[in-house]
Amino acid sequence: MITGWTDDHEELRAVVRRFLSEKSSTEKARELAIAGAVGDQAVWRQMAEQMDLQGLVIPEEFGGAGMGAVELGVVLEEMGRALYVGPYFSTVALAVQTLTAVGDRAAQARWLPRIAAGELTATVAIADDAPSFDLTAVTATATASRDGWSVSGAKAFVIDGMTADLILVAARTDGDLGLFALAGDAAGLHREAVPTVDETRALARVELDAVPAVRVGDDATQTLARAGDLAAAALAAEQIGGAAAALDMAVDYAKMRVQFERPIGSFQAIKHRCADLKVQIESGRSAAFFAAALLDDGDPEAAIAASTAQAWCSAAYTKASKENIQFHGGIGYTWECDAHLYLRRATVSDIVLGAPRAHRARIAELVEM
Amino acid sequence: MTQQIETGTVMTIESDDEFRARIRQWFADNRPAKRPRDPAERKSWVRAYHARMYDARMTGPSWPLEYGGMGLSFAQQVIYQEELAKARVPSPLGTGLGIVAPTIITYGTDEQKQRWLGPMLRQDLIWCQGYSEPGAGSDLPALRTTARREDDFYVVNGQKVWTTHATDADVFFTLVRTGTQESRQKGITYLIIDAHAPGVTVRPLKDITGGEHFAEVFFDDVRVPIADRIGEENQGWPLVRTSLGHERAAGAMNQATNYRRILDELIALARERGLTTDPLTRDRLADFEIRVRLMKYNASRIINDIIAHGEPGPASSVSRLFITMFEQELHEFAVEMLGADGIVTRDSERAIQRGRWLTGFLGSRASTIGAGTSEIQRNTIAEQVLGLPRDPAMPAR
Ligand SMILES: Cc1cc2nc3c(=O)[nH]c(=O)nc-3n(C[C@H](O)[C@H](O)[C@H](O)COP(=O)(O)OP(=O)(O)OC[C@H]3O[C@@H](n4cnc5c(N)ncnc54)[C@H](O)[C@@H]3O)c2cc1C
Repeated sequence: MITGWTDDHEELRAVVRRFLSEKSSTEKARELAIAGAVGDQAVWRQMAEQMDLQGLVIPEEFGGAGMGAVELGVVLEEMGRALYVGPYFSTVALAVQTLTAVGDRAAQARWLPRIAAGELTATVAIADDAPSFDLTAVTATATASRDGWSVSGAKAFVIDGMTADLILVAARTDGDLGLFALAGDAAGLHREAVPTVDETRALARVELDAVPAVRVGDDATQTLARAGDLAAAALAAEQIGGAAAALDMAVDYAKMRVQFERPIGSFQAIKHRCADLKVQIESGRSAAFFAAALLDDGDPEAAIAASTAQAWCSAAYTKASKENIQFHGGIGYTWECDAHLYLRRATVSDIVLGAPRAHRARIAELVEM
Repeated sequence: MTQQIETGTVMTIESDDEFRARIRQWFADNRPAKRPRDPAERKSWVRAYHARMYDARMTGPSWPLEYGGMGLSFAQQVIYQEELAKARVPSPLGTGLGIVAPTIITYGTDEQKQRWLGPMLRQDLIWCQGYSEPGAGSDLPALRTTARREDDFYVVNGQKVWTTHATDADVFFTLVRTGTQESRQKGITYLIIDAHAPGVTVRPLKDITGGEHFAEVFFDDVRVPIADRIGEENQGWPLVRTSLGHERAAGAMNQATNYRRILDELIALARERGLTTDPLTRDRLADFEIRVRLMKYNASRIINDIIAHGEPGPASSVSRLFITMFEQELHEFAVEMLGADGIVTRDSERAIQRGRWLTGFLGSRASTIGAGTSEIQRNTIAEQVLGLPRDPAMPAR
């Protein structure tokens, strides 16, 4: 197993960073957030056509680049840095990875090529009342009839649920737990935006009243665990990118802002806290990297590593985004300063795939504490 | 990866797996005997074991072959460190081998290398670091121990303090002042001082654990041959920063392995006492579980960076702070978790595991002080990694 990023990864990182800084700065994020966090269609197309980003982890036979969680981590770390606004996390980190984990070839052949081409956006809703992969929190039901399946219930927090063309939901059948694909505009599907503190990421409540659905795979209990781990590793990478950007912002400001005739960054009260953040963030980068690498390797430790990364990177992002505001003083508290955008993203990211405490509880289970 | 190695006069090619197997086999065949309880016996036990390792060329992983080391590639050093941690080899006596050896290898004369390096590895000579003084800790360039030239000797007067294992020492590697006090680091010379020379007094200092692991050292007109100076007079300061290869980075893996074992022992203890069903205890233990894994991931990343780019990268500058905080918090929690049993010393019948968690609790206070305090570490990360400006009140480096 590789134990760190290679030169190819660094190159991918540089290309994505350059692209995002040109096409999707934080100023842009702010504009898009105000417009409902839908994303920029033109940028979305360029990402697919010029950069092959939507197809990054899609197998080559379905029109993708056939890369793995490590490469997706590199891309998401950069998107986290740039506060990228658009349905990439939902479509790729959630839906594509869930489709590959569940391994239903017909479903893959049907949707993955269109996702790779940038023509289709998608999302996933597992737990009813949280955007997590906690299967115990599924009460939505699916019924089979001669015409096929239909799903009823509600999913309260679906990432990009307002705009996704395809929604993959978990629902209980008579015997087991299944994954079902619904068209975003299907009859009986009602969606409503859920405003959260993070205006750069759109969430929606989706109500399902006997919505016609396609079943994906069989009993999904096992496979969804892997999908959840892949999503957790991807989110950890995005979080640590955001945390690193918040620290960079704080450091840049601390070098420039003069009080008492010296840059505030020369005061240890600032310096030491920046150093502590650096410790937390670099360790978080190791955590996110290893979660992805172990998942790619099918290593038995991968599930623990994914929860490790989620618990750690959530805390790192929350801390870094708060400190960034503090070090900016009064300016940091203003709407104009980007600092609050990071805090907002961090606050929602902290819980979207399970709070740190839930991941620690899972780790305790997994190591048979 | 394969690596060409020289064993005596024969050249062989050995893969990393073969290397690991060989190292593991050697430690299995040469298991350290049970640790004697009597301190004097323990010392000779440690020395004998390291002599055995040296004679079998099993010590000094990063040292060049010509000085009795193993001359390993970096990847092999990592393997060696992992196996060393598993074999629970006693640490060598004395301190700072990783500091003084590279200094001698880089700046010493041939005669000095011959005289000191092999015996240092073999533990025929026990070395200790005499840098700190009562008035010069973090601000080491303020040191006041003087060395005045007299014929072919330096005459040394002054005091060192907190010198780890000084009572075992045969030799001190020290920094002494040969220039004026105002010249600060430009007036410092690197001297090797015979611990048995007339005028040297070592007075053990009882430490926070009740043990006597360090001492104060007094020099009273001690005559040190000029031949025992490393580098030039007044040019000692730059020697302080020498380091050989990436032994420290490889050591990070050794530490990760060690703390994995310690945490497993703590979890086992918690389980035994029925504490793992308590949600708060579980949450804290899971947090340590996370951190001990990150320690390993950080170490692997550093190692990867060195192999790929020849440089340890950003993870290395933060790993020490990460580990020291972990070490302290782990022991603090262990004592807290044990409640009333946690506060009794090894002399009590109620002591859990001979009071090791309490000793660790006290002992780990040193991890954020010794070898540079964590405040100084944070300054370094802030200035050298993040590029924040230096405090204008601090003297020039
Ligand atoms: C267990 C142990 C073993 C040791 N072994 C050895 C040995 O073998 N050989 C040897 O030479 N020395 C040894 N030392 C000494 C050690 O290197 C010093 O204790 C250390 O460098 C700190 O110096 P000090 O104790 O004088 O503390 P001080 O430098 O006086 O520091 C006191 C406090 O002030 C803080 N401080 C100081 N300067 C700054 C600054 N610029 N910014 C912010 N905070 C600051 C420190 O972080 C600390 O919290 C040992 C120490 C311990 C605890």
